[in-house]
Amino acid sequence: MNSTFLFAVLVFLSLFSYWFGIKRSLTVAGGIDNKKYLDCLPEQFGLLTAMVCGIPALVALLVFNSAEQLVVEHMITSTLPTHIQTLSSIDLGLYLNNIHSMASSETALVLIQGAKEASDSAVQTQYRAALELQTLNNNASWLKTALVLMIAVGSVIVLVGKFSLTYKARQKSETIIRGILVASSAIAILTTLGIVISVLFESIQFFKSVPPTEFMFGTQWSPQTAMRADQVGGSGSFGAVPLFAGTMLITFIAMLLAVPVGLMVAIYLSQYASAKLRSIAKPMLEVLAGIPTVVYGFFAALTVAPVIRNVGEYFGLSVASESALAAGLVMGTMIIPFISSLSEDAISAVPKPLKEASLGMGATHSETVVKVLLPAALPGIVGAILLAISRAIGETMIVVMAAGMAANLTANPLDSVTTVTVQIVTLLTGDQEFDSPKTLAAFALGLMLFITTLGLNILALKVVQKYREQYD
Amino acid sequence: MTNSTDNSPETSAEKNSKVNTNMSAKDNSARVSTTLSTTSSTTEMVALSLKKRHQKERRFKSVGLFSVFFGFMLVIVLIGDITSKALPAFHQYWVKLDINYNSNWLGVDENLTGLELTKQLKKANYRKVLKNSIYPVFTEEPGKKLARKEKRQLFKLFSTNAEFTIKDSLLSSPENLQQTVSIWVRLDDDVDSYLKEDFATGQAGLRISKKQAQWLAKLDSEQRIETRFNISFFTSSDSREPELAGIKGALMGTLLTMFVTILVSFPLGVAGALYLEEFAPKNKITDLIEININNLAAVPSIVFGLLGLAVIINVFGLPRSAPLVGGIVLTLMTLPTIIIASRAAIKAVPPSLREAATGLGASKMQVTFSHVLPQAMPGIITGAIISVAQALGETAPLLMIGMVAFIVDVPTSIVDSATVLPVQIFLWADSPERAFLAKTSAAILVLLTLLLIINLSATMLRSKFEKK
Amino acid sequence: MNKIEIKQDLSQIKLTETVGNIYADDAKMSIRHANVFYGKKQAIDNVSLDLAKNQVTALIGPSGCGKSTFLRCLNRMNDTIDMCRVTGQFMLDTQDIHAKSLDPVLLRARVGMVFQKPNPFPKSIYDNVAYGPRIHGLTNSKTELDEIVETSLQKAGLFNEVKDRLNDSGTGLSGGQQQRLCIARTIAVSPEVILMDEPASALDPIATAIIEELIDELKEKYTIAIVTHSMQQAARVSQHTAYFHMGKLVEMGKTEYIFTRPSHKLTENYITGRFG
Repeated sequence: MNSTFLFAVLVFLSLFSYWFGIKRSLTVAGGIDNKKYLDCLPEQFGLLTAMVCGIPALVALLVFNSAEQLVVEHMITSTLPTHIQTLSSIDLGLYLNNIHSMASSETALVLIQGAKEASDSAVQTQYRAALELQTLNNNASWLKTALVLMIAVGSVIVLVGKFSLTYKARQKSETIIRGILVASSAIAILTTLGIVISVLFESIQFFKSVPPTEFMFGTQWSPQTAMRADQVGGSGSFGAVPLFAGTMLITFIAMLLAVPVGLMVAIYLSQYASAKLRSIAKPMLEVLAGIPTVVYGFFAALTVAPVIRNVGEYFGLSVASESALAAGLVMGTMIIPFISSLSEDAISAVPKPLKEASLGMGATHSETVVKVLLPAALPGIVGAILLAISRAIGETMIVVMAAGMAANLTANPLDSVTTVTVQIVTLLTGDQEFDSPKTLAAFALGLMLFITTLGLNILALKVVQKYREQYD
Repeated sequence: MTNSTDNSPETSAEKNSKVNTNMSAKDNSARVSTTLSTTSSTTEMVALSLKKRHQKERRFKSVGLFSVFFGFMLVIVLIGDITSKALPAFHQYWVKLDINYNSNWLGVDENLTGLELTKQLKKANYRKVLKNSIYPVFTEEPGKKLARKEKRQLFKLFSTNAEFTIKDSLLSSPENLQQTVSIWVRLDDDVDSYLKEDFATGQAGLRISKKQAQWLAKLDSEQRIETRFNISFFTSSDSREPELAGIKGALMGTLLTMFVTILVSFPLGVAGALYLEEFAPKNKITDLIEININNLAAVPSIVFGLLGLAVIINVFGLPRSAPLVGGIVLTLMTLPTIIIASRAAIKAVPPSLREAATGLGASKMQVTFSHVLPQAMPGIITGAIISVAQALGETAPLLMIGMVAFIVDVPTSIVDSATVLPVQIFLWADSPERAFLAKTSAAILVLLTLLLIINLSATMLRSKFEKK
Repeated sequence: MNKIEIKQDLSQIKLTETVGNIYADDAKMSIRHANVFYGKKQAIDNVSLDLAKNQVTALIGPSGCGKSTFLRCLNRMNDTIDMCRVTGQFMLDTQDIHAKSLDPVLLRARVGMVFQKPNPFPKSIYDNVAYGPRIHGLTNSKTELDEIVETSLQKAGLFNEVKDRLNDSGTGLSGGQQQRLCIARTIAVSPEVILMDEPASALDPIATAIIEELIDELKEKYTIAIVTHSMQQAARVSQHTAYFHMGKLVEMGKTEYIFTRPSHKLTENYITGRFG
C-alpha cells in the first residue's frame, strides 16, 4: 500500500472511530435515553476516539516514511561488494541511483532474468542489488501498512476499553487539541531552527576547506575554477567581498530611488491629497507591491537595461548590458510602495495636536511636515527604511535576471556587478553534489544573508517599538 | 485686578507657589518689555519672508504630487510595456499546404487495410511527404529543381510540429492515402515573428532571408496564410520550439503547489494563531515564538529555498522538483504572514462574546472553536488569500529545490516533476529565441490576471464582511 | 422635578438676538454675522462680538455649543479641515482676516493659539520656543534668538524652572510646565492676540492656578480670548464673557454682570449650574 492510499485509509478509519466512539459511549451509558448519565457528551467521546485513532498512526506513518529511505539505502549498501562500498560518496550516490531506477522501472521477473543472463559480474551485481531493493521496498511497504493499521486500531481498542460514565472525554480531547495548537505555533521556531542548523551546518563544512577570513575579506570570487581542477577548495577562490560590494551598490541605488519617492508619496497622500486621489493612489501602490519579483526582473532585463544602455551610449558612456543601475532602479520601484505605506503609518501616528500647534503658530504646511511631523515620525521612518534595505538585500529574482554574474569589485553603477543572492542561485541550480565547496559556498552566502537581514529586522523592530512607547 | 467673584479657598502651599511665580513673572516682564520688538514690526518681518516661504510650500507640494504621479507612471509603463509585448503571443500564423499522401513517400503498402495499415501509418515517413509536397510548389521554372540550400530554407519556414500535424490528419482519416489534401500547419517561430513585425515592409527580416520573404509573400498572395488565436498557448506544455510552447504544465504545477501550500499552511497558521492569541500563557517562550514569527516574516524567500534543499530534499529525501516540496517550502514562507493576519482577526473579536459564552459554561476550547473562530474567519480567510497571492508569485525558493528544470509533461500528482508559472516566466525570459519574449510577456499577463482575481476576491470578501 | 422644568424652559426660550453688550470701546477684533458650517450642519449661527484690546474675553457654554469652533475661526485654523465653510466678517484691527488676499500664515503669526492639551514638539525646550521665530525668520543672529527664547520663557513664568535644562526635551516637563512652554512658544513670535482653547482643562488645580495668574499677566500686552468649561475660571480671569448655546451667542457682557445678573434665562440656567 503506498502512503497516499494509507493516508486515505487512516482518514476513513478516523471517521469510523468517531461513530464508534459515540456508539460505545452510549452503550456504556445504557442506551440513548440514558446519555445524560455520561459526564461528557457522546460526540466528545467520538471526537476523542477519532483523534486517538488518527494522530498516533499518522505520526508513525510520517516517521516511517522519512526513516524508510535511509534504512533501505543502508541495507542495500551493506549487501554490495566492498569495492563499491568504498567508493566516494558521489560515485556511490550515482551507483545507488542507477539501482533505484532499475528497481522502479523493471519488474522482478526481468531483474531475475537479467541477473541470470548478465555476463559481466558487475552488471550481475547491479541486477541482484536492484532485485534486493525491490524486495526490501516491498517488505517495507507491508511493514508500514501493518504497523500503521495496528497502531490505529490498537489505540482505539485500548481507549474504548477505558470508557465509563465518569470518563473525562472532553478534557482529554481538549488536551490533545491544545497539544496540536502548541505544535502548530512551534513550527515557526522549528523553521528558524531548521534554517539556522541547515545553513550553519553546510557553512561549517565549507569553512573547513575555505578559511572564513578568505571568504569574508578575499576580493577574488571565481567558484567555477574549483570544479574544473576537480580539487576540493584547492584552486577556486571564494573571496566574497565583490559580492557584498555588488549587493550594497544595487541596494544603494534602489534606496536612492525608493526612499525619496516613497517618502514624498507618503507625505503627499497623508497631508495633501484629496480623498479621491487617495482612493486611486492607494490601490495603485498596492498593484506595485503585488507584482511578483520575477515580473520586475523581466522588466529590468528586457526593458530598463536596454534603455539605460542606449541612453548611456548616446552620451558616449560605456554601459554594461547588465548594469547595476538597471537592477537597482527596478528594485527601487518595487520598494517604493513598501516605504510609502510604512512611512505613511508612521506619519499618521504623530498626534494631531502637534500638527495643529505648528500650523497655529503660522508655520506653512510644508514647514510643519519638515520640522514637526517628520522628526516626530523619524523612528518609524528609519524602521521602514531598515526593513526596506533588508528586503533589497534579500531580493533575488530582479538581480538574477538583470544583474550580471561577473564578480566585479566596482562602485560604477554602469558596470555589471553580481550579488549574494545571484551567486546562491547560480551555485545551486543545475547539477550539484553536496560536498563540493562550490555548492557549500552557497550556504555560507545564505548564512551571511540570513544574519544580515535578521539583524536589520531586529534593529528595525526595536526602533519602531521605541517610537511606539513614546506616544502610547 | 482679576474679577474673580468666588475665588475658592486655597492652601497656603498653593498660595506660596503662586506668589513666587507671580513675582518672578512680574519683574521679568518689566525687564523684557524693553527688549522685545514691537508687534507691528513682527508683522512686517513675517511679511518680508512670506513670498519665499509660499514658494517653498508650492515647490514641496508639487514634488509630492510629482512623486505620486511618478508611481502612476511606473505602473502604467510596466503594465503597458508587458501588455504590448505580450499581445503577439496570443495569435499565431498558420499556412495552408497541399499535402500529397503518396504511399511511396510514406513508405506504406497501399493495399493494406485496418489495423495493419494504422500500424504502418504510425511509423511512416511524413517528413518526406511534407518535403516532396512543398518543393514543387516553390520551384520557379517547371522541371528545375531547388538548390539544396533553398530546400533547407524552405523547410525551415514550417514548424517542426508540421509533420505531426500531417500525421494526425492522415491517421484520423486514412482514406486520404494517395490523395492530395489541403492542411493547415503552424509556421516556424522566426517566420511568425517576421509576419507580425516586418512583413509589411516586404524586406528580408531578422533571421528571414530575402528568398524566404518572397516565398511568404507568394503564400500570402495565394491566401494561404492566416492568423489564428493561439489556443495551444493554454493547452500545451513547455517546448524548445517557441511556436509550440504553452503554459499548461506550469499552470498545473502552480495549481498543485498552491494546493499543497493552502492545505498545509491554512490549518497550521490558524491553529498557531489560535494558540498564541487565546491559550498561550504570557511567558518567555511565548515571547520567543512571537519575536520569531515577526522575524521569520522578513527572512528573504531564497533562504527558505536553502532550507528546502538542505532539509526537505537532502534529509527527508522528498523528490526534487515536486510540487509537494514546493508547497512545503512556500508553506514555511507564508506561515508567519498567515499567523500574523489571523491573530489580528482573532484579536478583533470582541471580548464580550468570549465572556458571554464562558458565562454560559462553555469550556475555553468550546468558546474558541464555536464562537471566536467563526467570528474571526472572514479576516483569517482574507489574510490567507493575500498570503497565497504572495506565494503564487514567488520564484526564488523554488529555483533552489529544482523546480527550474525543463519539463515537457504536464504534472498530474504532487510528487511529479513540475515547474510553476513564475519559474516558467524566468526560464522563458532566459531563452534566446525572439518569440519567447512575447510568450514570456503573455505568461506574465496570465500570472498578473490570476493575482488580480485573487486579490479582488480578498477585497470583496473583506468589504462584504465589513458591511455586516 | 427641576430637570423637567428646565426642559420646558429651553423649548420656550427663543434664540434670536444676543442680549447684553457685544461691543467694546477699544476693539482689537470685531466679528460680525459669523456662520460656520461643517458640511450641511451649521455649527455657528450668526454670531457677532468684539474682543476688547488688552483684555480677556471668556467664551463659555455647554459642550458642543460651538465656542471652540468659533475660536478656531479667529486664526483660521478651521481652514485645515475640509468641509468646513465660514462666512461673515472677522476684523482684526482694520483687516478682514477671512479675506482671500490675507495670508493665513501671516494671520497666525499675529493671532497665536494655545490648545487644550499641552502639545510641545518632541524637541528641546529651547527649540520649542525658538520654533516660531525660526520659521518666520524673526531673528538674524543666535544671540537675538537666545534673547527671544529667554524673554518668552520668562513671560510664561517658566524660565527659572528650566533655565538649566533648555536642551532637555519639552515632553519631559510636567503637564503645567508643558502648557506654559506652549504659551512661551506662542508669545515668542510676539502675536497681538492669543487664543486659548481650554488651556487648563488637562491640568491639576495648582498648575491651573499658575496658568490663570499668567493669563492675567499676559493681558497687559496681548488681547486674549479664552474658551473654558469652568465658570469659576471665566469669572477669575476674564473681563468680558460670552455665553454660547447651540451655535448661537446668547448673551455677552462684562464678566461681573454675566455672573451676577444674567439677563437671559439660558445664561442664568447655565451659570447657576442647572445644566451644561
